[in-house]
Amino acid sequence: MNRHGAYTNGYPASWRKDDDPYDPEGRNGPWIGNKEDIIDDEKDSWDHKWKGQRHPQSSRRKLFRNLGILAVAAILLFWFMSPTDSISWSSDSALAIELDEIETVRYYDLEDVQGSKHGWDREERVLLCTPLRDASMHLNMFFSHLRNLTYPHHLIDLAFLVSDSKDDTEENLQRHLEQLQNDPQAGMAYGEISIIHKDFGQAVGQDVESRHGFTAQAPRRKLMARARNWLLSASLRPTHSWVYWRDADVETCPFTVIEDLMAHDKDVIVPNVWRPLPDWLGGEQPYDLNSWQESETALGLAETLDEDAVIVEGYAEYATWRPHLAYLRDPYGDPDVEMELDGVGGVSILAKARVFRAGVHFPAFSFERHAETEGFGKMAKRMQYSVVGLPHYTIWHLYEPSVDDLKHMAEMEKEKQDREKQEADEKERMKKVKEEFKDISDQWSKDKQALQEEENQELQEKLQKVRDRAKPKDAEKN
Amino acid sequence: MSYFRQTRSSRPALALSAVTLIVLLYFFLGPSVDVSSTLDPLLRARKSAAAASNPLSPPTSAFRKSRSSPGDAQQPLAPPPIVHYQLNNLTASSNPIKNNEKVLVLTPLARFYDEYWANLCALAYPHEHISLGFITPKTPQGNEATKQLQEAVNAYQKGPLSQRFESVTFLRQDFEPAIVSQDEKERHKMANQASRRASMAKARNSLLFTTMGPTTSWVLWLDGDIIETPETLVQDLTSFDKSIIVPNCFQRYSTDDGKNAIRPYDYNSWRDSDTAHELASKMGNDEILLEGYAEMPTYRTLMAMLAETDDNSDKRRLMPLDGVGGTALLVKADVHRDGAMFPPFSFYHLIETEGFAKMARRLGYESWGLPNYFVYHYNE
Repeated sequence: MNRHGAYTNGYPASWRKDDDPYDPEGRNGPWIGNKEDIIDDEKDSWDHKWKGQRHPQSSRRKLFRNLGILAVAAILLFWFMSPTDSISWSSDSALAIELDEIETVRYYDLEDVQGSKHGWDREERVLLCTPLRDASMHLNMFFSHLRNLTYPHHLIDLAFLVSDSKDDTEENLQRHLEQLQNDPQAGMAYGEISIIHKDFGQAVGQDVESRHGFTAQAPRRKLMARARNWLLSASLRPTHSWVYWRDADVETCPFTVIEDLMAHDKDVIVPNVWRPLPDWLGGEQPYDLNSWQESETALGLAETLDEDAVIVEGYAEYATWRPHLAYLRDPYGDPDVEMELDGVGGVSILAKARVFRAGVHFPAFSFERHAETEGFGKMAKRMQYSVVGLPHYTIWHLYEPSVDDLKHMAEMEKEKQDREKQEADEKERMKKVKEEFKDISDQWSKDKQALQEEENQELQEKLQKVRDRAKPKDAEKN
Repeated sequence: MSYFRQTRSSRPALALSAVTLIVLLYFFLGPSVDVSSTLDPLLRARKSAAAASNPLSPPTSAFRKSRSSPGDAQQPLAPPPIVHYQLNNLTASSNPIKNNEKVLVLTPLARFYDEYWANLCALAYPHEHISLGFITPKTPQGNEATKQLQEAVNAYQKGPLSQRFESVTFLRQDFEPAIVSQDEKERHKMANQASRRASMAKARNSLLFTTMGPTTSWVLWLDGDIIETPETLVQDLTSFDKSIIVPNCFQRYSTDDGKNAIRPYDYNSWRDSDTAHELASKMGNDEILLEGYAEMPTYRTLMAMLAETDDNSDKRRLMPLDGVGGTALLVKADVHRDGAMFPPFSFYHLIETEGFAKMARRLGYESWGLPNYFVYHYNE
C-alpha cells in the first residue's frame, strides 16, 4: 500500500491546497498520513487527540506525589531487603531478629581436644555426665560437691539425664542449677548445662534389693547402658577433651578429683570406690566391684555362656576369680599407684573424650559377655586404649542399707528396744514393790524397843526382887 | 507552540524510573537477599527461636554470636543458660516434614566435588531442618577439600534465608588416615581395606558423636563422592519408617562405544550366607570378612546385584539386609543413641558400616535396602 501517497516525481499525491479548511488533526485533510492512508487497525493508535494543556501546577503536584510514593517505596524496600536487618520492624521482640548475629557455621580441629595431664592449664573442657533417677534426696549433697570442685568451673559442661523419676528430681535440679549459675561468687558458674529428659521404662525396680539382685542384673545393666549412651550422645561436643562420669550418690570425694585423675594422663581411669558402714558391720566396705582385671577363669566362663548372657561381678553365681580394684585398697598406700583394668565401675570414671569419639560406649547388649561400664572397659581395651584404676585413691559412696542390713538393723533396734523395755519394767516393778509393801522396820524397832524396855523392866523388877529379898536377911543379921 | 512541549511528569516515565530504581536496588543489594523469604516473619521467628543463645550449644543448632564490642569485654559474660531437652517427645516418623523432624547429614570428606555440593543443596527437604556435619583429614588434600567446602558453605549460608541450612559443622580429624593415597586402585586393595576402613569408622564415629544433638531425629550418611541423588531422597527414605535403610549405590560411566550406562558401585549391602558364617567361624579374633574380593568368596546376596535398572521397576521394593554400605545410609538417631556405632575393630568379623548393621542388630534394630532406588557415585 502506498502510504505516502506520492507520485514518482516526488510531489504528494494529494497536495494541500491553501484554501483547504484548517484541520489540526489532519484527519480529513489530504496530509501525508491522513486518516485515509492508515489501515484500519492502526487508526486507534494514531488517534492522538489533543486534550488541552494540563495545568502546570497540578502536574507539578502530581510529580511530587509520585516522587513521594517512590521514596516511600524505596525506603520500605531498603528496610526489608537490608542485609543488616538492623531495624526491628515489629513490636514483638521475637520477630526483631538480628540475623547477622546468628552464626550457623562452626569449625573445630579435634587435634586440639586430645586431653593432656595439665588440662586446667590448657583450658581443656570437661563434660560432666550424671544420670539421675529418683535422686532428689541426693542433690543437696551432689551440688555441695559441685560447688567445691577445684577444676575451673567455666571449663566444665554439665549434662544430666532425668529418667523415669517419680519424685521432684526435675524441679529440685532446676532450683539447684539456678542457684549455682547465679551465684554471686565469681567462678562458681559452670559452662553449658543440658538436662536430657528421657524415660526408658523400668526393667526392674529401683529399690536397693531388686537393684542388686542377681537375676535383675543383665536387663538392668543393659538399660543403664542405654541411658548412659543417650546422655553422652546428646551432650558430647567437639570442644570436649575429657568426659567425667560421676554418680549423684557419692558421699565423700576429694575436691581435686578431676585434676588428680587427669594427672595420670590415661585414656580411662577410675578411683577406688568404698562405702562407710555402721560399726556393727565393720565400719567400711568395698562398694564398686565392677572394676577388675580379667582372669583366665572368667575368660573360660565367658566362652561357655550364651551370646546374650552378661557376666556381672560380685555375685556368687559367676565365680570369676578376678582381682578386684576394691579389694586391693591399702588405706595408707600411695594414692598414685596404678593398676591395669579390663572392666570399670561407673561411679566415677574420667575418660578422654577421644575414647568416646572413636566409638567406645556403654554396650546395651552383651559385648564379650559384658554390658554397661564393664563392657565399656572391655571395648576401650579392644580399641587399644589404656584402662587404669587407682587402688589407694578412694572415694566414698553413700551407704544405703541393703534389705539384709535393714533386717539386721531392725532386729538390733528391736533388741535394743526390748532391752530398754526390760530395764524399764524392772525399775517399774521395784517401784511397785516399794510402794505396795510398806517399810515396817520402824515398827520392828519400836516393837523391839518396847520389848527391850519391857525386858529391861522385867530385869529391873527381878533385880529389885532379889534386892528386896536380900534386905530382910541383912536386917535379921543386924 | 505550547502543545508540543513534553510534560515533565509523564506517567510512563515515572513508572519506568520506579522500575529501574527497584531493579537497581535489587542488584545493588545483591543476590544475597531473597525478598520472599526475608519478608516471611514466621521463618525469621522460627530461625530466631531455633538459634541457641550461647555458643556453648549443640552443633545442630545455630547460635547467637557473643557481642565483641570493646565495652562488653569489661563485663563478664552471663553464664550459659540451663537448657532442657525433651527427648521423650522426639519422633522419627514416616512424615518427617509435618513433625518438623531434624535431619543431620554427615559426610566424611576427602575430596570436594562441586556436584556433591550442588546435589546436597538441591535436596527438597526443608533446609531449616537440615544440619550438616563434615570431617576432613589433616592432609594436604584434606586441607584443600576443606577450603573448597568452606567457600561453598559460607557463600551458601549467606544466600536466601529459606535455603540456608540450620547449621554446618566442620571437624578436622585427630588421627592419621591409614593410607595417604586416595588412588582408587590402591584404596581398594584388600590388604589396605582393613586399616582404611578402621580409620574411616573412627572418622564416622568422631563425626557422629560430636555433632549429633539432642534434637536430631534422623542421621543421613552421605559420602562426599555421592554426586547424584533424587531431590526427595530424605522424604523417600523416611517414608518407609525403617530404623536403618540404604538405597542402592550405582555409578554412571560411558561404555566403550560411548553410550551412557550405570553399574553397581557399593557392595557392602548384603544378606548373609552360610559360607560367610563358615568363613567367619574359622577366622581369628581380629580378622575381618570383606565383600567384593575374589580372594574371599562369601556367596552373600548382594543388593547391588539385585537391582532392576529398567524404568518400570518398583522403586519401593524392600529387602532385609545384614550388612549395609555407608555411601548413602539413613538411620534413625535413636539407633545411634542406643550405642550403635561403626566398629573400628573386628566385630563379629565385620568392620565399619557392615559392623554397624551387626551392632544395630544386637541392639534389636533391623536394616533394610532399596535395590531399585539409586544414588550415584562419582566416577574416578
